[in-house]
Amino acid sequence: MESALAPLDCLLPAAALRACADGGANRLYHVTEGSQDSFLPDYISGDFDSIQPEVKEYYKVKGCELIETMDQDLTDFTKCLQILQKKIEKKGLQVDVIVTLGGLEGRFDHIMASVNTLFHATKIMPLPVIVIQECSLIYLLQPGKHKLHVDTGLEGDWCGLIPVGNPCESVTTTGLKWNLTNQMLKFGTLVSTSNTYDNSGIVTIETDKPLLWTMSIKI
Amino acid sequence: MESALAPLDCLLPAGNLKFCLLILNQPINKGHFHCLWSKAALRACADGGANRLYHVTEGSQDSFLPDYISGDFDSIQPEVKEYYKVKVDVIVTLGGLEGRFDHIMASVNTLFHATKIMPLPVIVIQECSLIYLLQPGKHKLHVDTGLEGDWCGLIPVGNPCESVTTTGLKWNLTNQMLKFGTLVSTSNTYDNSGIVTIETDKPLLWTMSIKI
Repeated sequence: MESALAPLDCLLPAAALRACADGGANRLYHVTEGSQDSFLPDYISGDFDSIQPEVKEYYKVKGCELIETMDQDLTDFTKCLQILQKKIEKKGLQVDVIVTLGGLEGRFDHIMASVNTLFHATKIMPLPVIVIQECSLIYLLQPGKHKLHVDTGLEGDWCGLIPVGNPCESVTTTGLKWNLTNQMLKFGTLVSTSNTYDNSGIVTIETDKPLLWTMSIKI
Repeated sequence: MESALAPLDCLLPAGNLKFCLLILNQPINKGHFHCLWSKAALRACADGGANRLYHVTEGSQDSFLPDYISGDFDSIQPEVKEYYKVKVDVIVTLGGLEGRFDHIMASVNTLFHATKIMPLPVIVIQECSLIYLLQPGKHKLHVDTGLEGDWCGLIPVGNPCESVTTTGLKWNLTNQMLKFGTLVSTSNTYDNSGIVTIETDKPLLWTMSIKI
C-alpha cells in the first residue's frame, strides 16, 4: 500500500500539540520575544543541560509541563518523540504528521543524530516525522511506495534522495526532473542531490530500503 | 574613479600589497624569488614552473613547498612531480557542511568518490565541524593539537559497519555494530590520552569539533 503525504502542508496552520526538546525552549523563548505567553509549549522534555535557567523558570511558572528524561543513550529529540506518542495516545488526538523544527544545522554530529532519530522514530510511532530548518526538509521513507504532493506552492527548487544508512538496491521515481528506474542509490556510486521537479505536482518513490527524502522550502 | 597600484610594492620587504605568487616555466631571478616567496599569501606553480622552483631551491626544497601545482603536466619533470606529490599529506576542504541539506550530503558523497580520485586523505571543515571518511582498516588519529573541541562522533553514513572497535574515546566501542536506527556515535568525547584509534570493517565517517 502506498503512503501519501504533502510534506509542506504543515507550514499552513495549526499544531495539535507543541513541544520543546531541552534547549529548543531557549529558541522558542527568544523567537517569541515580547509575547512568549502567546506561544506556550504543551511540554518541555530533555535532560535539561541546555535549557537556560530563566527560560525553564518562565515556562514552569506559566504552567508548561517539564519532563526530565535522564536516559543518556538517546538524544533529547528521540526522548521528546517518545513522550509525544504517549500524549497523542492518551489524549486520543487525530494527528497526521510530526513536524520538528531545527536539527539540520550547526554541529555535524547533531545533524546526523537528527537523521538517526528518524530511523528510531519508526519504532516509536506510526506517524511520519519530518524535520525542517531554514530552507531544508528531511523525511525518511520506509521500504515501499510513497506519493509526495509537492504542489503547496511552498516548494523550493531542489530536492534529493539520500541512501544515508544503507545502500538502496532498487529505487524508482516519477515526478522528478531526473527520475530513477530500478536504480541503486549508494554513497560513492549514486546519490540524488540537486534534483528538481517535473511540474506534475506529484513525486512517487518506490524503494526497497529506508531512503531519506530531502527538499527545499521557499523562504 | 581612478585605480591606484604601486606595481613594485611586492618586491619591497616592507611592502603593503597582499599578493599570491604564480610561478611559470621561465628562468627565475633568485633575488626576486626570495622576496616574493616570503611575502606571498599563496604560492602556486603552473606545470613546468615546478621544475624551476625545484631547481632554484636546490638543497632546501622542503622549505619552499608550493600550495599547489596545476596544469596538464606535460612539462613537469617526473622526479619533480613525485617530490612535491609526496610532500602533500592531506587535502583540506573549507565549507560544505552547512546550508542546503542535499549539499551537505553531496559533500559526504564526494568523500566516498575521493578515495577513487586520490590516495590522500580529504578532510572537510566548516565552522566548528570537521568530517573525515575512514576506509576499512585501522586508523590512529592524533587529537592533541589543542584545537580539538569537546565533541566527536562516528557516523555509519552510507552503510552499516558490522564491527567497530575504538580506543581514546569517552564511550569506546568493542566489535560493535554502528547502523542508523541501531547505534550511531554522536556527542562522544575524548579520554585525554591525545590519541583515538578506530578499527572498522566498512567505510565510517569520523566527525569532530574544532575550537573556535
